[in-house]
Amino acid sequence: MKSFFNLTFFVKSPFEKLALGIVFFIILISFLGDFIVPYDPTQIDFRGKLQPPSLEHPLGQDGAGRDVLSRVLSGARLTVLSTFTVIFVVLVIGCTIGIFSAFAGGWIDNILMRIADIWLGFPPLILALGFAAALGASLEAAIWALIFSWWPNYARLSRMITLDILSKPFIAGAEVLGVPLWRKVTFYVLPNAFDVLIIQVALGVSAVMLSISGLSFIGVGAQIPAPEWGSMIADGRAHMSTAWWVVVFPGLAIFFSALSFNVVGDALRRELDPLLRRV
Amino acid sequence: MHYFFQRFVFSLLSLFILTLITFLLSQVVPGDPAIVAAGPNAGAEKIELLRSEMGLDKPLTQQFLIYLEKLAQGDLGKSWFTHQPILEDLIRELPPSLELVIIAMIINLMISLPLGLCSARYNDTKFDSSVRLFAMIGAGLPIFWTALILQNVIGGELQLLPIAGRLSFEYRTFEGYTGFFLLDGLILGRLDVFFDALKHLILPAFSLSLLFTAVGLRITRTAMISEFQKDYVLLARTKAASEPRIMFKHVFPNGAPPSLTVFGMQFGWMLGATVLVEEIYGRPGIGRYAVKAVTQSDIHAVVAVVLVVGIVFLLANLVVDLLLYLLNPRGRVDK
Amino acid sequence: MKIFNLLASAFTALSVSLAIPFTATADVAGTLIIAENETPENLDPANATNSTVNQLLVGVYDALVQFKAGETSVSPQLATDWQVSDDGLQYTFNIRNDVKFHDGSSMTSADVVFTLDRLQAASAAVLNDMGPFKSAEAIDDYTVKMTLEAPFGPFISALSRIYIVSKAQVEPHMSDDNGRGWLAVNAAGSGPYSVTTYKPTEVVTLNAFEGYWGGWDGDHVAEVVFRYIAEPSTQLALLKSGEVHIAPDITVQDKLSLMNADGFRVDIGAAATPLYFQFNTSSDGLVGDASFRKMLAQTFDRKLHLDYVLQGFGTMPDGPLPPDWMGHSTGTELPFNMAAAKELVDQNGWAGSTLKVRYLPAIEEEQAAVEQLQSNLSQLGIKLEAEGMTWPAQAATVQDLATTSDINMIYNFPSFPDPHAILNTSFNSQNTGYNGGYNWAQYSNSEVDALLNQAASSADQNERATLYAKAQQMIGAEYPVITVSLPGSVVAMSSAVKGYRYSVAHHQTFNYMDISVD
Repeated sequence: MKSFFNLTFFVKSPFEKLALGIVFFIILISFLGDFIVPYDPTQIDFRGKLQPPSLEHPLGQDGAGRDVLSRVLSGARLTVLSTFTVIFVVLVIGCTIGIFSAFAGGWIDNILMRIADIWLGFPPLILALGFAAALGASLEAAIWALIFSWWPNYARLSRMITLDILSKPFIAGAEVLGVPLWRKVTFYVLPNAFDVLIIQVALGVSAVMLSISGLSFIGVGAQIPAPEWGSMIADGRAHMSTAWWVVVFPGLAIFFSALSFNVVGDALRRELDPLLRRV
Repeated sequence: MHYFFQRFVFSLLSLFILTLITFLLSQVVPGDPAIVAAGPNAGAEKIELLRSEMGLDKPLTQQFLIYLEKLAQGDLGKSWFTHQPILEDLIRELPPSLELVIIAMIINLMISLPLGLCSARYNDTKFDSSVRLFAMIGAGLPIFWTALILQNVIGGELQLLPIAGRLSFEYRTFEGYTGFFLLDGLILGRLDVFFDALKHLILPAFSLSLLFTAVGLRITRTAMISEFQKDYVLLARTKAASEPRIMFKHVFPNGAPPSLTVFGMQFGWMLGATVLVEEIYGRPGIGRYAVKAVTQSDIHAVVAVVLVVGIVFLLANLVVDLLLYLLNPRGRVDK
Repeated sequence: MKIFNLLASAFTALSVSLAIPFTATADVAGTLIIAENETPENLDPANATNSTVNQLLVGVYDALVQFKAGETSVSPQLATDWQVSDDGLQYTFNIRNDVKFHDGSSMTSADVVFTLDRLQAASAAVLNDMGPFKSAEAIDDYTVKMTLEAPFGPFISALSRIYIVSKAQVEPHMSDDNGRGWLAVNAAGSGPYSVTTYKPTEVVTLNAFEGYWGGWDGDHVAEVVFRYIAEPSTQLALLKSGEVHIAPDITVQDKLSLMNADGFRVDIGAAATPLYFQFNTSSDGLVGDASFRKMLAQTFDRKLHLDYVLQGFGTMPDGPLPPDWMGHSTGTELPFNMAAAKELVDQNGWAGSTLKVRYLPAIEEEQAAVEQLQSNLSQLGIKLEAEGMTWPAQAATVQDLATTSDINMIYNFPSFPDPHAILNTSFNSQNTGYNGGYNWAQYSNSEVDALLNQAASSADQNERATLYAKAQQMIGAEYPVITVSLPGSVVAMSSAVKGYRYSVAHHQTFNYMDISVD
């Protein structure tokens, strides 16, 4: 935990530094929101329909004449917010269930983990379609769907960590001292789990990001005029042969974001993870 | 064998829980299934009639039992839209998707296993770095974006491969037995159909598998690296055993199991992800069917799809378990 | 590979033309390939109001009377002539005695009666435009009498969508769903083409029916293939490579670029299919308030839409009825006026409210219209949320007032070119969404109903024109809709296609029975 006081210690190569830079940049523009965009991302301008990149519009204009650059920047906020919402909720739910399962042991543990195993197999995309049918197609529905499909990952992980910690000698000591459950969890389990969890979070971000854009692409995620990168690609795909910029730039945005988080997560893992210490 | 039997029983239990979850899913959906099933222009009385016919007024547990009973008979309900039994719809839509996923999986394995192994062997070299880079890049590319770009560039601009469909137009009347055109082509001795179907599968399968391959590659590499670090490898090397022998006869069979588990799960996930590729490449399949079912509030169909994909997932895992069990007694030189 | 393809298609064409012996003067050969982005729900003629179903069935089934492509009034088809009783309640049709169904059996009046009975039992959508139709009975083998509850002017025109099925083929499969299950995947028609392959997610094939009662004069295709391709870019690619002859769903840009390209033709048909934003007039929310709707009615720039979204392919709308139709009344809808709208918003404090619109993202025009409305409303401080759906899902939501969205987008494809087909379908309270019709504004005004019903039962065209004009004015005063556009029918096709004509009574279909391919 103390190693995080120097936040950038884990990035070694220039490549990794660049990736971390991109991550910071994305988070930054998601906070700045609509203050930095040159144009209103939802302002239509039919006269500028499908215009190629130019000085006024460096990334071109989409099918409704909106500035692609503004939409890509604005979309960062949507992507970051929805992705981190999913990750955070899944983390809380998953860890609660996982830690509980580890402490409970016995048949409760067995059943819960069996359920988690099956649940892992639920195709998130198809489940999301179900949620879209239930709640109406929207970004909220997509977020719920992903939360619904992803909690088993963190449940199993946190259970494994908890079991590992519970097997350590100092836990026996805590038992003897009569340390209550909540203190055990808060002061023993969580601090030791933090390192591993943060790695999974960083790696999970890219997967969730890709899932959300995938759902928006098929139409069950963000709705118009939201500048979500996946739905921007969906909007532009009919014009691909004549207006490639509408598809390419949002796609690059997804790609670089996912890639950067992956690289950062990998670097974190290399430095932090004793449990899974590989090269 | 006992272990395998145990896994089989667990799979049955999993299947039961799966049906429970899918049943609950169908209950949770708001809106009235009777209204949806009645279709447009139905009157209030017709809707009430349907409601009691569909057993919607019975207690939940009883409905669940009826649901299970029907499942056992293969009755997945009727699509209110096409008025055809959903089972028939699935029999028609599943093979194209399975074909796609199988080819994608083959691509995945053909890249992940050898590259993962070699990358682990030549750890920390330029080769290893490039493989890792490739895996990073692959893991960041959205499936649907790759599909669009490949279709446009390779299919559209360069015209190297077909843009859409399962077969070329001249084969549109081709009727096989199994629904798997690759298989049917071989069975019926129609090699032209076989190659045509294969040609149409390359771009979609590659688009679908890229992401999963990147992940599979990294996991294989990681597993192989930790395997290479084990004592018996050091021992074998001091005994001057040949490198290929070490790699293929010892490290690979021992290091494969953890990644095999992941590949098994990926099979199910890929099936769920076919929706992204099928629409773009104009292929029929379970993904497209699921999207249509959902957007048409055809609840029975959605539930049926979730169920079927879940079953495929369980089967794939079972197969992997079987493979692991078979691999287990053989070639273990360790510890 | 290319030579192989060439040989294969030549062989196919040769074998098809050899297999079907037609009269010596006719040339029935070749294959017409049509791309379509929406897969049909089924083959049931009860659903023929749905254009993707209709486009398949229009040459597979016959009706008593039919609109030939390019014409605005009916010609006899299965019926040779008819008489109307003085009170307008009884129609007696003499039908042909030489019609064969695809299975070889002969058509008699029993088939006509069976068709209508079945449609009534199945609450078929095609009956919606038949108004006060009560029953049909066979007088003798080739005479049918139909009885109405009230006189109905457009009755004969409405019969053009009633496709006659073979009783012998359908009756054994009636079971408990009125034959819907069987007719969903089988056809039992008498038209020039029969369905030979039905794979609704991929391809549907029709082949020329040698025993067609109308005979085969002139040039026709032997085979019609519908290929279901959802992606507009794929349709364009296939059109350019010659694998598809007609590609109706490519983008407007692409259609424009093909207009001057060699080897392609873009047909522009004068369509009369208005696109509406329909406001839920029965809502408890803001849209239920007529003054709120008055504000909404001024927030859409139709000219911008026509110029940039439709690229000029269409007519500037003036109220819900096409301006050149009988009974049109001008100025019944408010023009685009953001200043006036803003004033209303400020006066009533409506800024900060949220509305929802449902539409079909698959239709380029609908999405563009929604985006414009969203943009305009956001300038007024009103948030418009969009929910993309497919047609059946959207139709299901309006069947219950509780689930009806504030705004719904819907086209009106009139089944026949008469004001009744637009005004009655969209504004009569009998046809509200919760009654199963296309009045998705859930608009209910008994005075308007009275006018519409009176106009329907009158035979005097002048009287009808006056009544419809008055109805439009009353409707306009309550602002239930914005008429977004009157888009033209713009179809891109290969120049090898000969004989295509737009059919105003069968929008979004193709007269493949008159087409030949070079």
